Amino acid sequence: MKFYKVYLLLIISALNTPVLSQEGKGDLKIFGYFQNTLRQIYDEEDDQHSNSFSLQQLNVFFQKDIATNWRAFISIEFLNNFSSGRQWGAANLEEAWLRYRLSEKFNLKFGLLLPVFNNLNDIKNRTPLLPYITRPIVYETSFSEFFNVEQFTPGRAFVQAYGFLPFGNSAKFDYAVYLGNSPNINDNPEKGQTGIDTTSTFLAGGRIGLRYGDLKIGFSASRDNDNQLVPARDVFDLGGDTSRFQEVPRLRLGNDVQFHYDRFSLEGETIFYRLANESEVDIERFFYYLTLGYQHNEQLFAYVSYWYALEKFQLFENDVEKLTFKIPTVGLAYYLNDRIRLKAQYAVAIVHGDLNPPIAPSIDAKNNIHLFGIAASVFF
Amino acid sequence: MKNILFLLFLILILQSGLKAQVAVIVNKSVPQDTIKKTELLDFFTGDIKEWPDGKPVIVKELKAKSKVREAFYDYIGKNPSRMKSIWLKKMLSGEGDPPESITDDTAMVKKIETTPGAIGFVAKDKVSDGVKVLLFIQKD
Repeated sequence: MKFYKVYLLLIISALNTPVLSQEGKGDLKIFGYFQNTLRQIYDEEDDQHSNSFSLQQLNVFFQKDIATNWRAFISIEFLNNFSSGRQWGAANLEEAWLRYRLSEKFNLKFGLLLPVFNNLNDIKNRTPLLPYITRPIVYETSFSEFFNVEQFTPGRAFVQAYGFLPFGNSAKFDYAVYLGNSPNINDNPEKGQTGIDTTSTFLAGGRIGLRYGDLKIGFSASRDNDNQLVPARDVFDLGGDTSRFQEVPRLRLGNDVQFHYDRFSLEGETIFYRLANESEVDIERFFYYLTLGYQHNEQLFAYVSYWYALEKFQLFENDVEKLTFKIPTVGLAYYLNDRIRLKAQYAVAIVHGDLNPPIAPSIDAKNNIHLFGIAASVFF
Repeated sequence: MKNILFLLFLILILQSGLKAQVAVIVNKSVPQDTIKKTELLDFFTGDIKEWPDGKPVIVKELKAKSKVREAFYDYIGKNPSRMKSIWLKKMLSGEGDPPESITDDTAMVKKIETTPGAIGFVAKDKVSDGVKVLLFIQKD
């Protein structure tokens, strides 16, 4: 009996230590958001309509200031009605980082983080911030099952230094530099531990920018090596020397601009992507978007936007394959209150594929896909 | 004569309705006596989070739409919807929390009085001796 009393006392005293109690520098904050969407899609080629209700995205954040200048932050993301039982959607540990803040001039993040690249990369999944339902195509995470969304921007980094340096009366020089892995993550248990990078190369990148009044411009770049073409060896039965498909250098360059004038705003960015080695392997991708917005009042925001994405592949001599997306879109976003943002959007995806695969007939296909959506983005 | 008096009365009413006089107030612990527009913008956007002595800046804002609130955000050059989206972005990026929204001027003055490092804004005629005024803004 005495043993149990001592044991109980030990448990109680352990629970009272600052480590186990929530007695850090701040309380643990749990917050997040979700976006429920109703989309109607009309595919001109198949002459088919489809309607779908979905929980497009749910993110839950855990944040705690663990000591003076130190903050821990975790983001867990669920996509497309995630259900492991039904094999729907996806669940991702998006971010888990520790930040040290010396001042506005220097911050350092360690851990799994979304690196800064152009306007949207680090906030692409923050649906309450964005007026869109379907985001500019390379940022639409829920499209990753059928479009190479994750190729256009660096998906994650593991250490990032960032901040801004004021100069002049009201100008600021922004910077961010980061390091991470190449995204050659092993998912085959037979080849060792899954979920870790399988190459010795780093992702290195950054953004420099200028803010002056209501104008913000920036230039971004990232460099890493990639093994995405390795499976092509098997598909095209290449045999022989296939080393040209391994650790292929990849470069992404971007620039972004934002400008506000009275109730109008203009926002855009470009991304140029190149994956190429000294032989015939060459993949180019190009993306831009431009959005003109009008803030009618504190609640209502209206916009027109145009997105363009191009994928161009050359794996063999005289064989160029192209896939283009042109997407004009219009939409409205309305703050019902500080926590709920209602959205409506209409977009036409004009898709053109010009494909000449060596082991299948050529395809030159065009299709228009109309997307109409309404959504509620709820911040909790 | 009656018409002239009525007209004067009307002008006075209209003038008082159109002019908003705002005081930017801080807790008495704050180590400065004036503030520039650019500093004010940096504090309210969360770009700068510390006073010159290293103590945290605690920003408070008025919740309800009013001429005072409108005049303040006009002065710093960002409309309230832009400010909201800036705060939301900071919050959802794990970079900062939005300022506490205070219901009215009286509550704001009380809050600033009792919160070290706090900064906020109120109508000029609501200022008390318990706070320090860094700036007066007048909007016609």
